[in-house]
Amino acid sequence: MKKLIKEFTKGIIIENPTFGLVLGLCPTLAVSTSVSNALGMGAAATFVLLGSNIIISAIRKIIPKEIRIPCYIVIIATFVTINELVMKAYLPALNASLGIFVPLIVVNCIVLGRAEAFACKNPIVNSIFDALGMGVGFTIALVIIATIRELLGTGKLLGLIVIKNFAPVTMMILAPGALLTLGLLIGLVNYFHIKRKTNKEITKVGCDGCK
Amino acid sequence: MDVSKFMVIMISMVFINNFILSKFLGLCAFIGVSKETKPAISMGFAVTFVTTLSSMITWLIYHFLLIPFNITYLRTISFILVIASFVQFVEMVVRKTSPGLYRLFGIYLPLITVNCAVLGVAVLNSETFFQEGYTTMESFWFSAAQGFFAGIGFLLAMILMSGIRERLELTNVPKPFKDVPLAFIVASLMSLAFMGFNGFRF
Amino acid sequence: MPDKPEQENTAEAVSQLHVFTSPHIHSRETVSKTMWSVFLALVPAGIAGIYFFGFPALKVIIISILSCVITEALIQRLNHKKVSILDGSAALTGILLAYNLSSSVPFWVPLVGGIFAIAIAKQVFGGLGANIFNPALAARAFLLASWPKQMTDFVSPLSPDAVTQATPLMLLKEGKFHDITQIGISYWDLFIGKRGGCLGEVCIIALLIGAAYLLWKGYIWWQTPAGFILTLGGLSWVFGTTGFFKGDFLFSILSGGLVLGAFFMATDYVTTPITKNGQLVFGISCGIIAFIIRRFGGYPEGVSYSILIMNAFSPLIDRYLRPRKYGTKLTAA
Repeated sequence: MKKLIKEFTKGIIIENPTFGLVLGLCPTLAVSTSVSNALGMGAAATFVLLGSNIIISAIRKIIPKEIRIPCYIVIIATFVTINELVMKAYLPALNASLGIFVPLIVVNCIVLGRAEAFACKNPIVNSIFDALGMGVGFTIALVIIATIRELLGTGKLLGLIVIKNFAPVTMMILAPGALLTLGLLIGLVNYFHIKRKTNKEITKVGCDGCK
Repeated sequence: MDVSKFMVIMISMVFINNFILSKFLGLCAFIGVSKETKPAISMGFAVTFVTTLSSMITWLIYHFLLIPFNITYLRTISFILVIASFVQFVEMVVRKTSPGLYRLFGIYLPLITVNCAVLGVAVLNSETFFQEGYTTMESFWFSAAQGFFAGIGFLLAMILMSGIRERLELTNVPKPFKDVPLAFIVASLMSLAFMGFNGFRF
Repeated sequence: MPDKPEQENTAEAVSQLHVFTSPHIHSRETVSKTMWSVFLALVPAGIAGIYFFGFPALKVIIISILSCVITEALIQRLNHKKVSILDGSAALTGILLAYNLSSSVPFWVPLVGGIFAIAIAKQVFGGLGANIFNPALAARAFLLASWPKQMTDFVSPLSPDAVTQATPLMLLKEGKFHDITQIGISYWDLFIGKRGGCLGEVCIIALLIGAAYLLWKGYIWWQTPAGFILTLGGLSWVFGTTGFFKGDFLFSILSGGLVLGAFFMATDYVTTPITKNGQLVFGISCGIIAFIIRRFGGYPEGVSYSILIMNAFSPLIDRYLRPRKYGTKLTAA
């Protein structure tokens, strides 16, 4: 049981998809304009991760090695489509604000990366905890960035005014603000790595392993 | 067909709505491969090639398959499968027929399957050019153009970033910001600079 | 740098040596001297700005300079590095930033702008010589993106109650005139600065005095300013709003931030090409981009954005326009 808990917690800090593995950058920057968007995307990604991890882990012994990537893609795409249709029907506002990034979950490096690195080599229960951990970690990272951007960029959080008499820094909710926030946060993470001498500074993007 | 629309698409895709600096599609490849100029240009060409052709192929699928049979909800699955197969096919062909071309951009092809930009522009096409007011021919060529110029925008950002990063190699960057964080900050300033093209009107 | 043959007359030799602070800075004194000289050259324009826009202009200038200098000192202190604010580079960024602002901005605009210019656009890269983008212009773009309303409120010159007024370029963008007599301004007004605009950009004659000093002393070369100004003016003349070859050349070069940008910001050593040919390419390209933004873009003025965009191209320009070693053929880089 302890091992399973570890599979869950590793996704939150040590192997956090955004600040540890540096995966799934595209949606991270695009949907972090508000905390509600961040939560929505995080939930959607977690759902897809869970579904794909379970199925891929369940049939991992049957899939031939040569065609495993196309198989993973089909499985992931199925869950992404389910998610898409559910969101279109029941959460149209969220679907509209997440826009193009709802279908793009299918090429989110986190999902394919976990399938390739974990689900195809581990039993179902472990894969469930891994998916949950990664999903929660991703959501937390998104919310952190979104909090900074929404607070500074609009003075509100979750649509409620938090800071009064404040001329908001509009750039924060625009593209440059997203890139700047992420750059500074990763710099901060690196600062802690250097201070603690963990030798785990972020020097490259995780997608290289996504082949 | 309105030729000035192509101009508008070009300005939009390359400058105003640049896929990397504005829409954040293709970031992983951008930050990952932009450290040196030669790989950056190769990757840029490869992406442009894939976005253009896959825009055309996915258009055909959407127009002749998904719409007539009323299965547009299968867009995501069909698009990504088509893109993955196409890229795989091209990689095989290039590897067999031209080692020079393969070394030039073939090695980046597998990575491009999961590049948000490719699927992104295909989905964007299906949402922009399949409405009222576009004839079939217009829809096809505008989609192809949008795919092409999205790739060019990616290429432009890659070239600029690689030039900058090569120069940053020669300076003493503070340790926490070396490589990846500084790349993001440079991208942020580039994005800020490109905002100058906002509100373009012909 | 290529080796020079020994000269008998050392004074002549010294006068032929061009010491330039590019990314590779050797001597602290040369950097200071250059920075403070440019600063000095900018003072006349500031005095004119204060004359036209009053005490608020002085306030903006002081806050901006202090913000830049203190930010730099604090960051260098935190990093346990030598505090080098006396080299004048932070002060120069401060004064340039102030000159790019309207005199009516709230006090926190130059304050936050200064912090952004030094902390983000300069120190994160590694400090002096390492930055890619012009810090003052990067800060201005940041301020414009963040507080568009405050940044586009301009004041009438010489008006004691600070009456708001659109700048000539803003009126042009809105299509309010085709001939400058329609807006009650003469070329002489534009030349001496009697118009709405950023506090350091309006007084052309003051800027030209400073620029002449820098050119005479050899701190800047003519390639960039000439390329920039002539290209922007020429394109504005050729593609006039009322027809081909009917554009107002003088108006286009006297209005907006062109003179300030071309002489003082497009010539920044760190963020622009090193070679003379590179600088010419830089200047001409800036002119083209600024013209396109002025004519087709959403903003009335494109000078700042054009310089920032070309800053991104500078490393490439330097790479492909390297001076050839004597006696060798030009091959692919």
